[in-house]
Amino acid sequence: MMLPAILAFGLPYNTLVVAAGVAAVGGAAGVVGGLSVLRGRALSGDAAAHATLVGVAGALLATGQRSLAVLLAGGLVAAVAAVGLLVLIRRFTRTRDDAATATVLSVSFGLGIVLISGMVARGVPGSAGLERFLLGHTAALTASDALLLGLVSAAAIACVAIGLKEATMVAFDPAFAAAAGWPAAAIDMVLVALVAVMVVVGLPAAGAVLVTALVVIPPVAARQWTDRIVPLLAIAGVIGVVSGLAGVVISSLAPRLPTGPVVVLLAAGWLAVSLVVAPSRGLIARWRARRGPRPDAPSLVSGRDG
Amino acid sequence: MNLRPATESPASSSTGSIPLLEWHDLTVAYGRRPVLWNVDLEIASPCLFGIIGPNGAGKSTLLKASLGLVPVTGGSVRFWGEPLSRVRRRLAYVPQRETVDWDFPVSVMDVVLMGAASQLGWFRRAGRRERELAGDCLDRVGLTDLAGRQIGRLSGGQQQRVFLARALAREADIYFLDEPMAGVDAGSQEQIFAILAGLRDAGKLVVAVHHDLQTAARWFDAAALIDMRLVAAGPTAEVLTPENLEQTYAGRRGILDELGRAVARGVRTP
Repeated sequence: MMLPAILAFGLPYNTLVVAAGVAAVGGAAGVVGGLSVLRGRALSGDAAAHATLVGVAGALLATGQRSLAVLLAGGLVAAVAAVGLLVLIRRFTRTRDDAATATVLSVSFGLGIVLISGMVARGVPGSAGLERFLLGHTAALTASDALLLGLVSAAAIACVAIGLKEATMVAFDPAFAAAAGWPAAAIDMVLVALVAVMVVVGLPAAGAVLVTALVVIPPVAARQWTDRIVPLLAIAGVIGVVSGLAGVVISSLAPRLPTGPVVVLLAAGWLAVSLVVAPSRGLIARWRARRGPRPDAPSLVSGRDG
Repeated sequence: MNLRPATESPASSSTGSIPLLEWHDLTVAYGRRPVLWNVDLEIASPCLFGIIGPNGAGKSTLLKASLGLVPVTGGSVRFWGEPLSRVRRRLAYVPQRETVDWDFPVSVMDVVLMGAASQLGWFRRAGRRERELAGDCLDRVGLTDLAGRQIGRLSGGQQQRVFLARALAREADIYFLDEPMAGVDAGSQEQIFAILAGLRDAGKLVVAVHHDLQTAARWFDAAALIDMRLVAAGPTAEVLTPENLEQTYAGRRGILDELGRAVARGVRTP
């Protein structure tokens, strides 16, 4: 674990609290992301993430306050609006899903950048440093900021724990769930809303550009290690926690480094290792299985019949 | 066979009881493109009922519309005389196998448990009763030994049987199956057929979309031939006549050989 390492570096109290908050964000992002990746909704989260900048800038303009809670609340409104827009486009136009997602993502991001750079250039009070929401910057977080992030993350994990049966049923087979009378579309919306929340609280840690990685990479890495959903969510959470912790520590030691790239690269490191060495799904295991299949080894590809 | 067009007066029915399932002038359109026109039919008694027709005939759509999975443009569906919303607990659905991601991180037992848990209320988890039920259903489809296996590591026939077990775990009275025999080996087909026949014998109605004319006559008690509209319905032997088949598959050259073989095998002989 990283905790002894942190103590060994003799980091200040504030950094420790921030590390704990960001670790909680990483863990919750991994857990919520696990469900959304399994549902095939990874890209909607990215559109929501890129849209947050508009909301962050808008919240500052509208309230004149620079508190993290206010900025993130604005980001959440924008993220939900972006996802809602996607739903409307899917419903009322014949635009392809991926094209619609890419459009909403880039347009909302462009708008956010224009807003923020305009505000910074004109010296709007409180706008200095707003561009840190692009790539994440945990060094500026206070202990109470970190507490907010941690509480929201804990609530998100609680939501997953409560609705796991419903979410799993819909993620695996929405048609079966709907035929059984479950409101699959509404359950989907709750999941997407949770992803939007995680993307927003992930902003300080990873920034709008990279925060999707926190939602997507840990579950993909975790999938390599397990064939069951609960262990997958747990492993994804652990990968998120460790990446978040390490990212905060590293960027507090190198304050000029934005946190986002560090956190994401760490998570990607886990993924790379998992892709190669994981038992049975890893490249090495599959290479060995191809060379000389053991009689008791389960086949890796499902046959069409038999 | 208690089967008749829904428009006929109830007095002409052989039983006079409320039909299990009735499609009344059902019309479905995707956007402006109609896929199913005025399907008017009722099934009065438990049986193995095949929905047969060429690709794009609207067979799957008929199932999905019956279960409320696609919006109905016109007409209605009734179960025991009641609307769908009041009878969902008594229905079970087996979607086409290709519609799910078989790499999904769940075991065979997990999937069957979803069937049992789908009858529970919000946020209630499967308990001992659901586990026992799921275990029984796995036993019925002969997959007890594979309960812990990830579902992607099964053959096509085994995957189909997992889907069937999940539906069984709903302990329903009407079962809708979409192409249950597609991509399934002969052994699993026989096994699946035996389970479906068992359901029928236990007084359940089984409605299955099927595309293979060769096996349709042997497996189904009754059938509906569909090509965007209802071509014919009734006891299988009376429905699968050369005239009806030609009408259903008209203009589909590729199917003519199959049609010829089916006729040669004497599907018309009762």
